[in-house]
Amino acid sequence: MTLADYMIVSALLFLIGVFGALTRRNIIGILMSIELMFNAANLNLAAFDRFLHPEGLVGQTVAIFTMTVAAAEIVVGLALLLAIYRNTDTVYVEDFHLLKG
Amino acid sequence: MLEHIVFYSLSALVLLSALGVVLHKNTVHSSLFLGLSLAGVAGLYAALGADFLFAAQIMVYVSGIAVLVMFVVMLLGRASDLHLRQVNEYWFVALAICGVSSVGLLRLASARNATLSAGAAHPSTHAIGRLFLGEYLLPFELVSLLLMAALLGAVFFTHKETKEIAS
Amino acid sequence: MIEYAYLIPLIPVAASLIILFGAKEDPHSPLPWIGIGAMALCLALSISILWGFVGGGVALPYEKNWDWFSFATTIGGHSFVWPMQIGVLIDPPAAVMLFVVTLVSLMVQLYSISYMHDDARYKRYFGFVSFFTAAMLGLVVSSNLLVGFACWELMGLTSYLLIGFWFERPGPCEAQKKAFMTTKLGDSGLYLALVLLYVKTGTFQLSQIHTSFAHGLIMPAAATVAAFGILFGAMGKSAQAPLMIWLPDAMEGPTPGSALIHAATMVAAGILVVSKLYFVFLAAPMAMEAAAWIGLITAFMAAAMALVTVDIKRVLAFSTVSQLGFMMCALGCGGFTAGLFHLTTHAFFKALLFLGAGSVIHSVHTNDMRQMGGLSRRMLITFATMAVAVLAISGVPPFAGFYSKDMILVAAWNHEKAIFWPLLLTALMTAFYMTRLLVLTFLGDDRDHERFHHAHESPSLITVPLIVLAIFSTFAGFAINHNDLAARLFPKPTLAASAEPLKTEEANAAQPSNAAVSEKLADPESEKGDKELPSWLTWGIPGFFVPAAMLLAFFMYRGPKFELADGIKSTFSPIATLLDRRWYLDDAFLALVAFCDQVAALAYWIDVNVVDRVFVDGWGLLMRIIAEISSFFDNAFVDSTVDGVGGLATDLGVGLRSLVQDGQAQEYLMYAGIAFALAATLMLTL
Repeated sequence: MTLADYMIVSALLFLIGVFGALTRRNIIGILMSIELMFNAANLNLAAFDRFLHPEGLVGQTVAIFTMTVAAAEIVVGLALLLAIYRNTDTVYVEDFHLLKG
Repeated sequence: MLEHIVFYSLSALVLLSALGVVLHKNTVHSSLFLGLSLAGVAGLYAALGADFLFAAQIMVYVSGIAVLVMFVVMLLGRASDLHLRQVNEYWFVALAICGVSSVGLLRLASARNATLSAGAAHPSTHAIGRLFLGEYLLPFELVSLLLMAALLGAVFFTHKETKEIAS
Repeated sequence: MIEYAYLIPLIPVAASLIILFGAKEDPHSPLPWIGIGAMALCLALSISILWGFVGGGVALPYEKNWDWFSFATTIGGHSFVWPMQIGVLIDPPAAVMLFVVTLVSLMVQLYSISYMHDDARYKRYFGFVSFFTAAMLGLVVSSNLLVGFACWELMGLTSYLLIGFWFERPGPCEAQKKAFMTTKLGDSGLYLALVLLYVKTGTFQLSQIHTSFAHGLIMPAAATVAAFGILFGAMGKSAQAPLMIWLPDAMEGPTPGSALIHAATMVAAGILVVSKLYFVFLAAPMAMEAAAWIGLITAFMAAAMALVTVDIKRVLAFSTVSQLGFMMCALGCGGFTAGLFHLTTHAFFKALLFLGAGSVIHSVHTNDMRQMGGLSRRMLITFATMAVAVLAISGVPPFAGFYSKDMILVAAWNHEKAIFWPLLLTALMTAFYMTRLLVLTFLGDDRDHERFHHAHESPSLITVPLIVLAIFSTFAGFAINHNDLAARLFPKPTLAASAEPLKTEEANAAQPSNAAVSEKLADPESEKGDKELPSWLTWGIPGFFVPAAMLLAFFMYRGPKFELADGIKSTFSPIATLLDRRWYLDDAFLALVAFCDQVAALAYWIDVNVVDRVFVDGWGLLMRIIAEISSFFDNAFVDSTVDGVGGLATDLGVGLRSLVQDGQAQEYLMYAGIAFALAATLMLTL
């Protein structure tokens, strides 16, 4: 296994996540796509750590941090989504155009 | 040899599940595929020899986040939405973006082609713990603060005003 | 004593200032005696000068100048100092005039003590009279033309003040304004002449100007213009036609004031100035001729008006104008000595006539001769003295007027027969109307019994001056005519360049000394020249014609009613109206003023309606139109362009904004994604 393989995987995962973030109408879909992107980045970090600095484990530490932040972020995102759903009864992102103009 | 098989099958799992996340009409199916994808990533961590990361991934992402997402999906209901398309009209542009970006990213990746695995992996939990409480103490504490904020924020956003019950 | 001559004008000035500002008004103020004392002092000085000259002790002309001020100036690169001098120049005529003016003024002031003794402004009157006398004396002695002109103007001022002395009545107010303005009109001519003389000679000193003329430095054209200017001034001050309109109205003033000013002295100032500047006239024969004719016309017109006047003072006023015409005519005919001789004698008997008239008026309280008559029985001294004056003015020998009038007629005879005959006629008219005055006032039956019974002789302060003046009216003519004294007293000036070869010694005899004078005047224009009047005139005028005129007047006016006079008047009523209306001169002047009014109104109308409308308003309208057009362009094109550009920017912005920003967060993310893709490819691959 080479680093390139892992990089390709993480790149493809990331791009799939990007595609989803740009395409999904459902807010949950967007959030899930964002999780995919996070994971791609984590995978990249861990791969680099394993292949280039196996004794340091700094990459893995940072990956832990990223994981934590991702968790926090999705929690808040879902809470927001619930609040929004309660007020407007819709989960489709195209219905929110208050930024219009 | 075994490495390759494991790697490729896990990669396929991850990628195909991810495709399932972004392409399925049914949001519940998407969330399930998300869980599957995250589990695949955990497997990849294990293939890399990052044991703590593997465990953390399973615990946090698969049984934490994915389940949470599933909860919320089901909380929102919307069973009647199955006939609506879940992909918006700009999917072609997004596809183009991904295609173009992939060119660059893959070229970047292919530059590392020659790198081989440098050696056997060590058990990492001990080392990570030492790092957390050593060099990365401050980020560790800050992250815990961040989690607290996220917790409070979630509670705040989802709190419903309850009416006074006449006793 | 002549070195004190400069005091002669100054003493009365001081006296007048003391009188005017020394104390408050008081009908019994003693201040006027200061004026009388001052005048007596001046009279003494004048007598000493004149007596000295006649006796041979004093050499005239006497000139003494002081530098008053000077300024340094640079003209054409040359710097020089220009001095203005002030001083006295006393030649024989000036010496005589000094005596005449001071004597008459003294007599008038004595008379006025009694005449004005109950007036509210008693004291002020004497202040004015003293001031007037000072100004007249200043003119007589001044060696500087400009200072003389200042004195001339001061005389006009005091005349104004005295004519309008009783200003509570409207008559004096109108009369004083008329006098002032008419004389001012004449003064403008005199002033221009002075300026011209200064420009041509560079000095105001009389003697220096005379020298310039004597050396022939002045062009005839300039001399003529100056001469006419001087003549114009004399016409105003000496009431020649047509500017004589003020003198009859000036009788509104107190009679002694009239006696001094409008009979003897001020009105003579015009004649005096002409005589002082006679050399200018000698260089301008046209002006001399004009003077002669103006004098003749004035004499005749005034005498005609006097024939029909019933106001005693007005008759005397016309008589004054007429006699001034005689003097001016004499000067114009070349009779310099005759003119000044008559000026002197006229001063005496005209002052006497006025004072006597004042005495009569004071007695009967009216000016109208139709309400008088037979006063000789009540006012003997007044009658006797006035009779003397009437004989003098009529030209009856041996009284004063005969000699001077005879000399004038000779001058006219020698100059121009066409002037002589009307002048003779006027002299006869003079005799006639003066006798008429005497008869109406003093002789015949009393026409108003009330007045007659209240009439009484005047107090001695009035009668003594009358007697003094009567003495002079009797003997002055004979005395001056005796031994050629007239020629010595009033030597005719010459221009050296115009002198005949015969009289080359006259060229340096500009200052005649006493001895050489008699030979000097042997020039063809001399009054005692070759041609006397033919003997039938020489004897006939005083012997026949004058007495005939007087007797005619006597018989016409002696009775209680004058049927003959009234008959003539009604027959020639148009002429009578003409004379009554004073030859319509007043109306002519008023018409001139009205015409000027009309012209001014027309000019105003043009200004308001044409100039203002066309130029001012029209210009404004044009500006407005231009502004409107600019505004239209501004609004239509410029503003719309500006607005259009702004609108375009707005529309562009809005369009772009609504194109891009529709509130869809995913779209924004997509743009970021596009950027990411480009970056990823470009940066990572290139």
